Amino acid sequence: MAADLHLRIVTPDRTIVDRKVAAVSFQGVDGGYGILPHHAPLMTAIAQTGSAEITEVDGRKHELFVSDGFAQMQHNVLTLVCEAGEFAHEIDLNRVKAAEQKAREKMAGLDKLSEEFLRAEAQLRKALAREMLARRNSGTGSLG
Amino acid sequence: MANLKELRGRIKSVASIAQITRAMEMVASMKLRKVQAKAQAFHPYTEEIRHMIERLAGKVSKEGELPLFRAREVHTVGILVVSSDRGLCGSYNSNLLFSLKKIAEELQQGGKQVKFWCYGRKSYAWLQRRGFHVERFFVEPALDKADFGAAKMIAQALVEAFSTGLVDDVRLYYTRFQSMIRFVPKQEPFLPISSIAVGEPDDDRFELDFLLEPDANTVFNRLMPRYLETVVYDAMVQALASEHASRRMAMKSATDAAVRMNKGLKKVYNRARQENITKELLDIVGGASAVS
Repeated sequence: MAADLHLRIVTPDRTIVDRKVAAVSFQGVDGGYGILPHHAPLMTAIAQTGSAEITEVDGRKHELFVSDGFAQMQHNVLTLVCEAGEFAHEIDLNRVKAAEQKAREKMAGLDKLSEEFLRAEAQLRKALAREMLARRNSGTGSLG
Repeated sequence: MANLKELRGRIKSVASIAQITRAMEMVASMKLRKVQAKAQAFHPYTEEIRHMIERLAGKVSKEGELPLFRAREVHTVGILVVSSDRGLCGSYNSNLLFSLKKIAEELQQGGKQVKFWCYGRKSYAWLQRRGFHVERFFVEPALDKADFGAAKMIAQALVEAFSTGLVDDVRLYYTRFQSMIRFVPKQEPFLPISSIAVGEPDDDRFELDFLLEPDANTVFNRLMPRYLETVVYDAMVQALASEHASRRMAMKSATDAAVRMNKGLKKVYNRARQENITKELLDIVGGASAVS
């Protein structure tokens, strides 16, 4: 039996993924991680706007957007705990566009050093990351 | 009998009240179910965050910068109150607010200032009327529609108030949902964080050695705000569930009372009608025998 890895992705709204996968890669705060089955125990923070790629047991790959979270590996279970998580095909481009627009407008009227500006900038970055991911994946088939 | 018409009017109005309260009861129980589903979906997230904190707590050095843990002398107490936006939910709000008043008065007698953060229109109006100092009233989004984002915003506001020194102690005050028929007002300490033991040795439950990147304190400091958000969100969901359950109960007893009243009124009405008919019959019979 091929070794596989149990992946759980948990957000405040729902548990997105809870199944066996072959591999996962994601961006941590200090660089990219690639997790294979039986990785050493690990705990790290995920980059504010990142994407994760899941390689399914059958070799297919899925990308998803994750933001503001943590990853921990324990007993061959990888748990991504993040505030938002969406599969690329679930991303609503119109909503993302609206968010992007809003963030840009907000930034235009703010002092570049203020906290508000940084917050708006983070929003913008999230919107852009989502958009990029959705575009890259548009046209791919649905998930199994 | 002029009484008959009056009775008919009353029967009708009581029946329509019963209809309305029954509808409200059903809406409340549906909303309650929704909130419970929300709470359930949220549960794994809280568990994970808590679990990670426990796992990390042993690795964090106390010398590190953990300002949210530092207790200081308390001059001002901040209380976040979660109540409902609307009434007609039985004693839900009054239970909460009366015991809140007691707590606030005790604090004030102890020479402390009390500042309030309000979620829910009822608590805001109530506190304002009694001359308490309300620091901020959260209006958007309405509690009914509140999601994790709202909890995040509130947690941020509270953390900011604590770290700028506006308040030295933050508590949450809300109604905890215990069962469909039991909800109790509850006070919970929020800041400084005391519920987590930092620097305690690890539990055996975890794999002891693990990679930590970039380092324990960095991860921990990023984890803390998340944890606080879950605490606030939990309070909100609990309060919301209690509100709906309380409203459901209040509306159920209102419906029952209306139905009972309607029954009584109908009995009176029928008796009066019967009496009328008998009287009329007697009149007719009397008239007929007089003619013949």
